[in-house]
Amino acid sequence: MFFTYLRRELRRRRKAALVVASGLALGIALVIVVSSVSSGMSKAQDKVLQSLYGLGTDMTVTKAAAAPGSGGTERPRFEFDAKDDDEASQSTDRVMVQGFQTLAADTVDKVGAQDGVADAVAGLSLTVMKVDGQFKRGEFKQDESASQGGQGGRGGPGGGQPQGEVRGGGASFDVNSFTVYGTDVTRQDLGPLTSSTITEGRTFKAAETDAEVAVVDAAYAKEKELALDKTVTVSGTDYTIIGISTADSGDAAANVYVPLKQAQTLADAKDKVTTVYVKATDSQKIEPVKAAIQKNISGTTVTTSADLADTVSGSLSTASDLAAGVGRWLSVAVLVAAFLVAGLLTSSAVSRRVREFGTLKALGWKSGRVTRQVIGEALVNGLMGGVLGIAVGLAGAYAVTAISPTLTAQLGSSGGGGRMGGGGPMGGGGPGGQSASKTLDIALTAPVSLTTILVAVALAVAGGLVAGAFGGWRASRLRPADALRRVA
Amino acid sequence: MYQLKGVTKRYMRGKNPVDALAGVDLTIEDGGRLVIQGPTGGGKSTLLQMLGGLDRPTSGTVELDGVDLASLPESRLTKVRAESIGFVFQSFNLIPTLSAQENVETALVPLGLGAKARRERAAEALESVGLGDRPTHLPSEMSGGQQQRVAIARALVKRPKVLLADEPTGNLDESMRDEIMELLDGLWREHGLTFVMVTHDSSLARKAPRVATIRKGKVTVTENAAA
Repeated sequence: MFFTYLRRELRRRRKAALVVASGLALGIALVIVVSSVSSGMSKAQDKVLQSLYGLGTDMTVTKAAAAPGSGGTERPRFEFDAKDDDEASQSTDRVMVQGFQTLAADTVDKVGAQDGVADAVAGLSLTVMKVDGQFKRGEFKQDESASQGGQGGRGGPGGGQPQGEVRGGGASFDVNSFTVYGTDVTRQDLGPLTSSTITEGRTFKAAETDAEVAVVDAAYAKEKELALDKTVTVSGTDYTIIGISTADSGDAAANVYVPLKQAQTLADAKDKVTTVYVKATDSQKIEPVKAAIQKNISGTTVTTSADLADTVSGSLSTASDLAAGVGRWLSVAVLVAAFLVAGLLTSSAVSRRVREFGTLKALGWKSGRVTRQVIGEALVNGLMGGVLGIAVGLAGAYAVTAISPTLTAQLGSSGGGGRMGGGGPMGGGGPGGQSASKTLDIALTAPVSLTTILVAVALAVAGGLVAGAFGGWRASRLRPADALRRVA
Repeated sequence: MYQLKGVTKRYMRGKNPVDALAGVDLTIEDGGRLVIQGPTGGGKSTLLQMLGGLDRPTSGTVELDGVDLASLPESRLTKVRAESIGFVFQSFNLIPTLSAQENVETALVPLGLGAKARRERAAEALESVGLGDRPTHLPSEMSGGQQQRVAIARALVKRPKVLLADEPTGNLDESMRDEIMELLDGLWREHGLTFVMVTHDSSLARKAPRVATIRKGKVTVTENAAA
């Protein structure tokens, strides 16, 4: 009888049921869209961070920034010899440690020994600035009129001396800058290279600790027309290209990857590293690990994903703030309003059915049975709202993913270089420790997780129960005599 | 057997107390037939509510077979209504979304009968009121007289001891009225029910063996030997 009565009532009052269900559906759909967009934002941020850190890195350890004026930085100098050979082009390059700050290589072992550290891998980030071009000497042109007339020439009344001027000449130099990352080939499960996929060739072998081999980023390889098995020259050393890597998102962490020892040799930075990539044993305990490292290893700066996320700006940050703030509050407000409206409509429906419920009580139905009937109807309304809301929410999330609005993320640290660890292709991270910043375009998606669906179902049930509680409370307070008095 | 002693029901109308029933003493024998008459607002329906356990008196006792309905806890009172008392209302009070048979079945739900038993007994009850061929009709698809027949079937399907009817013919035309009264009289005789009916209709009152007239909360009972 419960289900027959329920079915009939819902069919008869389908308009009212639809209003209640639609209100709940709107709230639930908003929750799905907002939470899926938030999850998309979070994914986008993760992508941005991943492109810097690589997969699985919880924090990086770099040398603490030197105080201004401490003389910790050196400017690159380029020296060209004056040569007699007119047309000879000259080339020189300078390999610089990114941020000009290094840590001792044994820092990685100290970091690895800290409580809560699962893994620690070191790397050396370099910037290579290559300047090549040529000087052209000026040409002396003799003043013909002066030599002929001997008067009023520019050479003055020097008599006998050739008169004229130097014309042309100058210098034409091309500056090419690229980044090199020295990777620990024995432990490639952590670090910037994990944010790229080897699309051609292979990655480093563990034995290639000091081999003259390189993995080149696909975009850089294309730009410089580099290919597998060819060589890339870094500061006079030819490296055989064994693999081409493609960044999983955004820009790659470096243009060229070489074994760590090779990078140290190139930069004349024996036993030095710029960054230690750290994976914590528990992703929930990152802050204590950070504190421990900073306390126990002096002169280091520890940057967690959360710290880095704080430096994200641009439309991604704005949209993320919007989703977290306005979106969340809007969906909560709509949901609460929907619950209340559903409750009031159910309660009002009970008021219209006073005679019906009074009759049932007169026939011997217990209050509980009448209340259950009301709650059952409200629950089905809620579930209908849930189904409708999930459908609308999924459609909304699908639409966001289909449109894939592009968000710009700017990652910047105001401090000197080096804070960003393996900070990618040096946006502004050039000489002099300018602020390191990186701009990435990320397509926003709105992935709907099973948890979100389960939350939606729970909300639908909760909405139904709230509505049912309103109506049920009203129904339970009815006295059979009150109901029948309206008839008399 | 009903035995009412000193039953008073006091309502507050604004700040003024009004006695709908004022110290009513009344006895109704098992299988008896009583018609309650009186002017509008005289307390007829209130008295019926007391008899049906739908409301409790302000003071006094309403005993049904020795059990005081006025002091029974709600759950027991609900059980008494479910098992022993059948109601017929002026406006039929059928559930509009349920078919005739399902409406009759609603009276069997509190008795905990299985679905099959409920269906069988509801079909029998509909048959007994002459609506065996319309089990699937909705109330909106039936005339007033037919709806009241369904309501009567619903009241009797649980095989109650008492049948309480509040103006059962109040919404029906004359021919329908006679039909329904004939049916109720027949069922009363057939089932040996205690039958109490509230009516405005003097012609119906004249046919009753006992008439309780209620004015300003006071009851006067007259025996009608001719009926």
